[in-house]
Amino acid sequence: MSTFYDHFERHGKGLANRVTHYCPGCGHGLAHRDLAAAIDELGVQDRTVLISPVGCSVFAYYYFDVGNTQAAHGRAPAVALGHKLANPDAVVISYQGDGDLASIGLAETISIAQLGIPITVIFINNGIYGMTGGQMAPTSLVGQKTSTSPEGRDSAMGQPLRVAELIAQLDGPVYVERVALYDARQRTKARKAIAKALRLQVEGRGYAFVEVLSECPTHLKVTPDAAEAWIRTQMEPVFPLGVKKDSMVEPWFRRPPPSFDAETVLALSGAEPTQDRAEGPARRHRLGARGRSLKLAGAGGDGAQTAALLLARAAIAEGFDATHIPSYGPESRGGTSYADVNIAEEEVLNPSAAEPDVLVAFNAPSLARFASTVPEGGLILYDSTVITEPGELPERRRVLGVPFTGIAVGLKQPMVKNLVALGALQAASAILPAPRILGALREVLKHKRAALPVNEAAFAAGQAAVAQARA
Amino acid sequence: MPATARERPFLEPAYCKGCLRCVEVCPKDCITPGTAVYPGTGLIPVELRLDACNGCGLCIAACPEPFGLRTQSETAHVEHAAQEYLLQDPTELFGSKIVEGSPIRERPAKAIPLQECAPLVLKGTYASAIGAVLAGCRHVFGYPITPSTEGAELMAKMLPKLGGSFVQAVSEVAAVNMMYGAGAAGVPSMTFTSSPGFSLMLEGISYMIGAEVPGVFVNVMRGGPGLGNIGPEQADIKLACRGLGHGNTHALVLAPSTPQEMLDLTMEAFALSFRYRNPVVILGDGYLGQMTGAVRLPSRMFRPGLPSWCVWGDRAHRTNLICSIMLAEPDLEAHNLRLNAKYAAICAEEQRADAYRCEDARVLVIACNTPSRMAKGAVEAAREHGIAAGLLRPITLWPFPIDALKELLPHVEHIIVVEASPGQLEDEMRLALSHAGIQPPPITSVRRLGGMLPQQAEILAGIRESQEVRV
Ligand code: SF4
Ligand code: SF4
Ligand code: SF4
Repeated sequence: MSTFYDHFERHGKGLANRVTHYCPGCGHGLAHRDLAAAIDELGVQDRTVLISPVGCSVFAYYYFDVGNTQAAHGRAPAVALGHKLANPDAVVISYQGDGDLASIGLAETISIAQLGIPITVIFINNGIYGMTGGQMAPTSLVGQKTSTSPEGRDSAMGQPLRVAELIAQLDGPVYVERVALYDARQRTKARKAIAKALRLQVEGRGYAFVEVLSECPTHLKVTPDAAEAWIRTQMEPVFPLGVKKDSMVEPWFRRPPPSFDAETVLALSGAEPTQDRAEGPARRHRLGARGRSLKLAGAGGDGAQTAALLLARAAIAEGFDATHIPSYGPESRGGTSYADVNIAEEEVLNPSAAEPDVLVAFNAPSLARFASTVPEGGLILYDSTVITEPGELPERRRVLGVPFTGIAVGLKQPMVKNLVALGALQAASAILPAPRILGALREVLKHKRAALPVNEAAFAAGQAAVAQARA
Repeated sequence: MPATARERPFLEPAYCKGCLRCVEVCPKDCITPGTAVYPGTGLIPVELRLDACNGCGLCIAACPEPFGLRTQSETAHVEHAAQEYLLQDPTELFGSKIVEGSPIRERPAKAIPLQECAPLVLKGTYASAIGAVLAGCRHVFGYPITPSTEGAELMAKMLPKLGGSFVQAVSEVAAVNMMYGAGAAGVPSMTFTSSPGFSLMLEGISYMIGAEVPGVFVNVMRGGPGLGNIGPEQADIKLACRGLGHGNTHALVLAPSTPQEMLDLTMEAFALSFRYRNPVVILGDGYLGQMTGAVRLPSRMFRPGLPSWCVWGDRAHRTNLICSIMLAEPDLEAHNLRLNAKYAAICAEEQRADAYRCEDARVLVIACNTPSRMAKGAVEAAREHGIAAGLLRPITLWPFPIDALKELLPHVEHIIVVEASPGQLEDEMRLALSHAGIQPPPITSVRRLGGMLPQQAEILAGIRESQEVRV
């Protein structure tokens, strides 16, 4: 049995060097021997990573001469998954007891079983908490006396949880079996099941789960042979043995090694090498020391955020610093949608637009809410199709109503009202040169070329509307 | 095992726990309960009389102890290794075990040059995700939570194309434990989360610190307590700096203030995390996560190495163990002292801060994350009013950059701490001052809560008030 350490150095010196910490007659030792035998037979000792749980088998790493990671209570399958994805060639085993797997870690147990990624889970079900001293487990039997069910478990404390059946009805696992250790025949089956569960992982076929009905003589407060008998006569009727699921699955789990190819990484990041850029060097369009602060306010679907992003992109392409912060109402559709944009020659100091130089309002509530935040000399642009009666607006601000929606509807594409607004904004404020904004538009639509003409037309129409208003 | 099936059993009495599981199974009644207590164990080993033994092996299969009942030849290898040496191929003597003292070599990370690219226009969470990919991270585990989710979404898009894995875990609890597994295997991993999710991860972070597992946590802080809202807050500073789960824990806490820094500091976080074998926390605020700005890519990216200490799942790393359990009090104390030494080294080596117009500042504003940008604007405005204000922006919140602060204090007459939290940044500063034995000048604060950030005007008012107080 080379998969056990020759000496259990982590357990201690002297006798501890050779004997386990388990109580006499404890089923854990048998399951350990079966697991070690399976690792040996498959010749995967070097590749094996064993996840020790919290519970009596917390010290499994004392014994198994494999890579060992000890996990938090209930989290062994999550830790196992992390290991398996980090190194798909590793043979990863999550070894857990009933408190760990079926109580505190139930969410991890089920969700990771359902992922179906090949790991092997060995579930030691002895119907009681061992390490903490004999409390009720999710798998304790009805009527079973434990230190937290002193009068016996009743149904109000929950019925025993049949985990193998639970796991078997998931689509993720390929193999689920419940075995026992109480006699020679069962032990042979247990050994075979554990070996098979491991083989399915080694062959890349899938997730396998073996539930082992195991003796805890100490907390059953009986001799080991009485514990064997208890499992046979009391536990087995509630937890029927046998194969619960066994799908024929061809090996499928293969992962390419991670790529560190610079070009791929740059392409995925959306970065383009400088020499590929079509546009010329940035022209410095003076903004003054304070830069500009803009707020675009409307409802979800007005396109305020897209317009804001186009402004930020255009400003950055121009050689300025720019920021955009979106804020939404709680509704994911149709709620308020505000965008703060700040543009500065060197560095945007304040990314919010509490006092915007420019307000673009797509609806009446937005206009009412933010018009008064625009300082004197500022610009207020609003959609005059939607806001027919702008009401009283603060004085000494330039106020311009442009039919964003009307123009967009005229172009048979109501969605482009934000581009109408941008065109109007550009013409009325000249914060950024028009070609720069159109360049940003082309960049954003580079994979949706068909949408470009109507957006460009909307932009031009917005500009024209302002020019007309001036004339 | 057919090769040994016909062999007779052997038992070293010291390794027998007297559980009697072997007794009932022997068809030839060769094994009987013992009669004498074995000195040293206090247990009563069984007695073997093998005259009638047919070598069926059933007793061996019934024994839970790895070094309990075994075949005679199996035991001979180990028990009498010295005598058998000449008869055996020495390389086979102990199976495929590692030769003692074979050093595990660390594979160092490799830098890969990147072409120069035009600046990207990215929101903070995206910038952080791209930073992680550039740092070599190919394993991301997360659970959706606003306002951090876009980071995970971008990873879900990019990683499959890079041979990496993004797993949407069943919960933040599972996610952090997947990171624990991947980190234990020696690969860089990360998560994106926000305040409530970060709370759930704290247990796992404590385990990672205890077991010295690297990993990067991006917490885009939102309004709390409880479900709070999705506005920007900074009220997890206490949690990140003082409350990383149970026990003696600390982790480097980095506080970016721009999308650019989200990228830069995420990259750096991976290097720091592996340098110190410790998690690193990046604290952003809701604005920063959602804020779009210009981001320049660095001149190189990284292919991560493989550390010597990891549990990779191969022969070289088979002897390794990742765990945080240390039963013996002196061992655990020693471990904690080692952690303390590591924390002290981090405090000495890794303090980072950005000083803006601090050289002659008499009013010193302390702020981090997005509020530091408003604070910068306020400092500018104060200077225009003739007030010698400066901004010290901690980039590491733990360790607090006390050395940088200390240097400025001789000319500072007033400190104003600006934060979107009830004084958690101020507490960090006061604690650092107190440990350094420094009596600070008067400290006032500008604080907002509930998803609102201190605005430039409020900060400026705070700065001006500090002047009046003195007069
Ligand atoms: S308490 Fe029970 S499960 Fe734990 S070691 Fe003892 S017998 Fe085994
Ligand atoms: S090998 Fe079979 S016959 Fe011999 S002692 Fe063991 S159980 Fe009895
Ligand atoms: S099964 Fe093993 S430990 Fe138990 S009595 Fe027999 S030899 Fe001893």
